[in-house]
Amino acid sequence: MLPFGPMSATSEAPAAFRHSAARPGPLALIREGIDEILSRRRLVRYLVQADLRKKGADTLLGNIWWVLDPLLQMVVYVVFVAIILQASTPDYPLFILSAILPWKWFTSSINDATTSVVSQERLIKQIQFPKIVLPVAATTAGIVGFGFGLIALGVIMLFYINRVSINLVFIPVIAAVQYAFTLGMALAVASVNVFFRDLGNVLRHLLRLWFYLSPALYSLSRLEDVQFFQDNPILLDIARANPFAILFESYRAVIYGTPEGGPLLPNWGALAALLLASIVLVALTTILFKRLEPSFAKVL
Amino acid sequence: MAANAPTLVPGTQHAIEVADLGVRYSLRFSRKTTLRQSIAQVVSRQRIEEFWALRHVSFTLIRGESLGVIGPNGAGKSTLLQVLAGIITPSEGAVDVRGHVSSLLTLGAGFDQELTGSENILLAGAFLGLDDKVVRELLPGIVTYADLGQFIDAPIKTYSSGMRARLGFAIATSVDPDILLLDEVLATGDADFRAKSKQRVIELVKAAKGIVLVTHDMNWVTEYCNRALLLEKGNVVIEGEPAEVVRVHEEHSARRKAEKQAELGTVAAAAGPLAR
Repeated sequence: MLPFGPMSATSEAPAAFRHSAARPGPLALIREGIDEILSRRRLVRYLVQADLRKKGADTLLGNIWWVLDPLLQMVVYVVFVAIILQASTPDYPLFILSAILPWKWFTSSINDATTSVVSQERLIKQIQFPKIVLPVAATTAGIVGFGFGLIALGVIMLFYINRVSINLVFIPVIAAVQYAFTLGMALAVASVNVFFRDLGNVLRHLLRLWFYLSPALYSLSRLEDVQFFQDNPILLDIARANPFAILFESYRAVIYGTPEGGPLLPNWGALAALLLASIVLVALTTILFKRLEPSFAKVL
Repeated sequence: MAANAPTLVPGTQHAIEVADLGVRYSLRFSRKTTLRQSIAQVVSRQRIEEFWALRHVSFTLIRGESLGVIGPNGAGKSTLLQVLAGIITPSEGAVDVRGHVSSLLTLGAGFDQELTGSENILLAGAFLGLDDKVVRELLPGIVTYADLGQFIDAPIKTYSSGMRARLGFAIATSVDPDILLLDEVLATGDADFRAKSKQRVIELVKAAKGIVLVTHDMNWVTEYCNRALLLEKGNVVIEGEPAEVVRVHEEHSARRKAEKQAELGTVAAAAGPLAR
């Protein structure tokens, strides 16, 4: 007889009932999002692997670019700021690299996340799966790029061996905070881009502006000397609250230390506040993503 | 488990129940919407248009039945499949799908070009929500069925469209679904594989599984479906015996064709004197 008896039928997936009136609340959406990511861990892993394969596959030097890229960018800024503008920051290459690495990670994650949902357009219209894994995978894949960037950092640190301190062990802690913040942003841009396809263009310019407004090429204390900020102390407070002011200053503290070369610890209070804010951000953008998710297949 | 068994005897329980289903599309956002257009819409207070891709659709599919969905282009056939697969949430009405659904509707979608055939099988399994162990067990069978030979370890980008379709079909039908949703798959691949895939679909139908098939091939509907549904402009025109439904469909399309020709005729007639 048939190989499919009643027993095998009961072991199949349970009844799936869908009704147009069902609208889960915000907390249910957050729990759903977490459940989906946890139950689809392997899918996230496969997507990350595929993403890395793609990035390494079509270039001559493959993954070497991940090390070379931040170094070349560093050279550009060193030529521009230290040599042409003659800024007096000591050991400027290391100073700037400590900001380039996290920033590259952030922008590549945000850019990948922006297109993560729309690039799976065909699949989204073909099968039902939790779309939240797509921006999560894009953000997670960025970590590997950051890891390769740390190789570049290791190379440069050889030239500034006197600045190496035990504080370097805190890089993963700062990176964890950055990951939470990035994930929150990624969920928002991935879902909004489905509805506004030119978000990527807008983001490109916003991100560039954000970089130059953040203390990457200069230190936060530099702003305090600027007359404009002395006249507008509120703007100075805003500049201090900028998530990337906190992140850049933290990375710089553990990688670069004080300008004189002494070891420096990050501002733990600011970092903790940013972590808290990032968790709230992730919660809010998860709700946003889950609210918009049912419309994806229709709009794409 | 044993207590549930009697309700699952094939033929006594529905696999799919659709009650007064409606799917509304808002044309405010389409795939090409930009910020500028949206701002322009808001500023000019443009009326947001909507349309119903499906309206007042009701039917029941008993376990073991094979339902052929036919109709002209844009009738809502694919939307119906998307709703059954859980991809689109209904705007009104209710849909009850009992059991595991497999729906690689257009085969080969979602394959990652850089990954190899076997890696794509694992990825597809993960997308479908299957346990990795299960997928690894299924893998040899899929590879044999798709008949890809050495190509299974080559990136998908090197595949021909026929190979891609074969792999997609093999994955979609290997996951042993309760309900299989197929959209125009039988038109893909070479003649050999078409015959083979027909064979596989017939096997699945015989194995007391529900099938919903969207196709333009009327022979398929009359030969292998035991029920058919004609959709036009989002509404069910007729549902029942395949032969009868196909007859109505052919009548309607003949009429549409005649109307179109008549229209073209009057246009030509009207343009005639002007052209002179």
